[in-house]
Amino acid sequence: MNLLLKLIVFIVPTTFLLLFFMILTNEDTYPGADYDQFLIPEFELKVLDNTITVNNDLLNGDYVLNVWASWCITCIIEHPYLTSLSKNGIPVIGLNYKDEQEDAIIWLKKYGNPYQTILHDYKGNLALDLGVTGAPETFLISDGKVIAHYQGEVNDQIWNDVFLPIIKDRKMF
Amino acid sequence: MNPIRKKRIYSILFVLLFSVSGISLILYSLNSNLDYFFTPTELKDRNIPADKRIKVGGMVLSGSVERISSSIFFVITDYENSIKVEYEGIVPDLFKEDSGVVVLGNLRDKILYAEEVLAKHDENYMPPNIEINDDN
Amino acid sequence: MIIEISHFLSVLATGLFLLVGYFSILTPSSNSSYISNLIVRTYSHGFFFLLSSFFIYVWLAITDNFSVQYIANHSNTELPIFYKISSIWSAHEGSMFLWIVFLSLWGFLFNIRVKNSEVLKPKTMGVISFILVGFLIFLLATSNPFVTILPIPPLNGADINPVLQDPALAIHPPTLYLGYVGFVIPFASAIAFLLYGDSKINWEALVKTWSVSAWVFLTVGITLGSWWAYYELGWGGYWFWDPVENVALMPWLAATAFIHSLGVSIKSSQLRIWTILLSILVFSLSLFGAFIVRSGIIDSVHAFANDPDRGLYLLGFIGLIVFTSVFLFILRLSRIQSLSRIKKFSKQSFISINNILFGALIFSVMLGVTYPLIYEFLFDQKISVGAPFYNAIFIPIVVLAAIFLFFSVDSKWSRSINFKFISAPISFSILFSLAFTLFVMQYFESQNISILASIFAGSLIIFRYIYEIINFIFSKKFINPFSVIAHMSLGLLLISISFNSLLSTERALSIDLNSTEAYKDLKISFKDIGVENNANYDSIKATFLVEDQTGRTFNLKPEKRRYFTRGQITTETAIHITFLRDIYITIGDQLDDGSWIVNIQINYLIRWIWLSALLMGLAGVILVFSNRVKT
Repeated sequence: MNLLLKLIVFIVPTTFLLLFFMILTNEDTYPGADYDQFLIPEFELKVLDNTITVNNDLLNGDYVLNVWASWCITCIIEHPYLTSLSKNGIPVIGLNYKDEQEDAIIWLKKYGNPYQTILHDYKGNLALDLGVTGAPETFLISDGKVIAHYQGEVNDQIWNDVFLPIIKDRKMF
Repeated sequence: MNPIRKKRIYSILFVLLFSVSGISLILYSLNSNLDYFFTPTELKDRNIPADKRIKVGGMVLSGSVERISSSIFFVITDYENSIKVEYEGIVPDLFKEDSGVVVLGNLRDKILYAEEVLAKHDENYMPPNIEINDDN
Repeated sequence: MIIEISHFLSVLATGLFLLVGYFSILTPSSNSSYISNLIVRTYSHGFFFLLSSFFIYVWLAITDNFSVQYIANHSNTELPIFYKISSIWSAHEGSMFLWIVFLSLWGFLFNIRVKNSEVLKPKTMGVISFILVGFLIFLLATSNPFVTILPIPPLNGADINPVLQDPALAIHPPTLYLGYVGFVIPFASAIAFLLYGDSKINWEALVKTWSVSAWVFLTVGITLGSWWAYYELGWGGYWFWDPVENVALMPWLAATAFIHSLGVSIKSSQLRIWTILLSILVFSLSLFGAFIVRSGIIDSVHAFANDPDRGLYLLGFIGLIVFTSVFLFILRLSRIQSLSRIKKFSKQSFISINNILFGALIFSVMLGVTYPLIYEFLFDQKISVGAPFYNAIFIPIVVLAAIFLFFSVDSKWSRSINFKFISAPISFSILFSLAFTLFVMQYFESQNISILASIFAGSLIIFRYIYEIINFIFSKKFINPFSVIAHMSLGLLLISISFNSLLSTERALSIDLNSTEAYKDLKISFKDIGVENNANYDSIKATFLVEDQTGRTFNLKPEKRRYFTRGQITTETAIHITFLRDIYITIGDQLDDGSWIVNIQINYLIRWIWLSALLMGLAGVILVFSNRVKT
């Protein structure tokens, strides 16, 4: 009887712990990362300084799309990393999300502008279609198709774990 | 075999039998109450009994939303196959055409009678794994 | 600058707790009065450093110090002070900080209230300190709340989620945390007891008051959370089997079983193995809850943003705690076994059976929470486990447990009793309950076995205890107020839940402005709808005049708000509360023909559900205070 009890007491927690260990270390479940591929839905948005209107056809090639807003604190923390990506020759396009135009421009003056182009998605329509739930979020886009999506702050670790393997695989940039 | 030993073996057997039957009962009821998650395409060739709750995820087909009194009718699509949905009640704030939706309900005569409609960005929303082929 | 002081104090506290752990567990002479004095003092210093660190942090939050990244992210200059403080536990880092401070607070209270001569005290403090060190390292290494934004801090802070600006939300996490971490006291004492390995020590009596106090916090915390989801999230019910609700329910079930088992062990030194195992289980389940919520492994309203390292660290640390306890338990098992057997139909026998039933409930909830994860991991197919599974398990088991409870009232400690079914109290209760159930069946035309069985079980308990109370008043037969109130609340809870699911209805109506619709006994007139502009949101506000069958009228004003900064839309329900029912209205979209969709729920006895849960908590408070008077 004692042996049975000892076995149960040992085996039950071991099973659960092992299971959670396996789930946690399973690559597919990297929290916040999503590798579903889909075409960017049709859109038409003005750029932040109101000069031109951009639609799907104008944005081709490979680039990183970063969703940000001036009300988003994590965007400030993410900002230096995006700047370094941009300096290393990776095209970063901004999607300004549910933000007042003036606030966004002031923010860029204060912290600097790492973006090649910034789309102003005031109502968040394109963002909704892309599956954005907040800011910051980052997409890897190749020929009008989303190939990776990360929710949260991108830093060196996230870049290397989530995006870099795909970039190398597809020989992008 | 001496009687004490015999008694001990009986009690161990009893405990084992009792816990095994208890655990199998729990597992049985778990298995018969799972809500499986499908896309319209996965649902196409499957025969699902009317009393089985399922979750179906996809996009709300544009132009398909129709309200009649307090009921709402719409079509969920994964751009390959679709399924009709009927729901009575208030759809979530973020429910709209051409955006993601997950419906929990029962399937009868190819119509999904919804118990619950979750829009994308709802807390309980589970994203469907829809892959869109770019060659069509 | 000040934030560095706060940071430093936390690091210092970690060092001191490490010293306490070292002296009390790893040195052989921890029982000398010199060492035990040292342990008591050092722990108190560690606690004061940690507490000062936390108070400085609170002060920084109140004064809008946005150079602290976490505060900048979760607070805003516009917020009232109350919400500036509560913003500290609105996300992972800060709430983990609070969790740890509470953990050290329980240890501190134990430290000052328990006499130094208590033989288990030094080792108990040591176990608590090691757990504190583990979590402080977790906090500082993987989720540091002291990180700063330099060189340019934001001016106004973040716009925080309006759903989170709510008094119930501000107080329900701290209450729950106090409950979760409170079980560190019985856990640490059990480990200290196992470390000594002397079965003559009565560790159970030492922790009774502490365990019941933690149980009270857990009970009240769960109730507050349920109430918040009802009116603020607009979920319109009291329990949703959401994973995070479930991870709070599991320790509660384990704790309830633990307290019962503890009572037996104190009275008769039986069930000691159960009591020790349950004390380990309660604390492990509390830690498991923290793991589930903080590892990002489950999607839920409550889940925090995530990072895989956090999950791995927590899992590793929990594994260490669980395996150390299990190892010690296996090592000492033969010494703590009680030789006396439990008699059939004694009070102990009923409590043992209910321990097993509670175990089955905990196992089922655990399965319900983890099965979707396992299933997706193994078969790559998404599934979810919803209310039907939990109902199929909970209803029969709870009814069964209630019936055992009913018979246990007549049982005696350590003595078999022959049940005479014609004995007055038993037959009285069965008769009345049967009559009541039949009445419900006839009057409400219900054939639902689950509901009728629950009503029968609930009324059995209530009538049985009413009999006891009458007996107490007229013949001064002793009753235990704690047990009477707690168990009668359970009866009331069962009955309220049954009536709630029997009678509550819900309907979506489409209704034109200035017209009247009827639903059940209610006449609902749509009087007005308009847009209101507020400082940070616009709202569509409707006014309904509702008349019930008695001719009483009242206004209900549901709203739909759109917040400017993030464009977030929230639905504000309007609720009319009466003695027996809530009338709950939410407003939906406008149809093309100009009418509006309105959802009406009539929720019967929903307040009674929370009331019974709070009464259970009250029973615990009575026990704690009556114990304190005695000692």
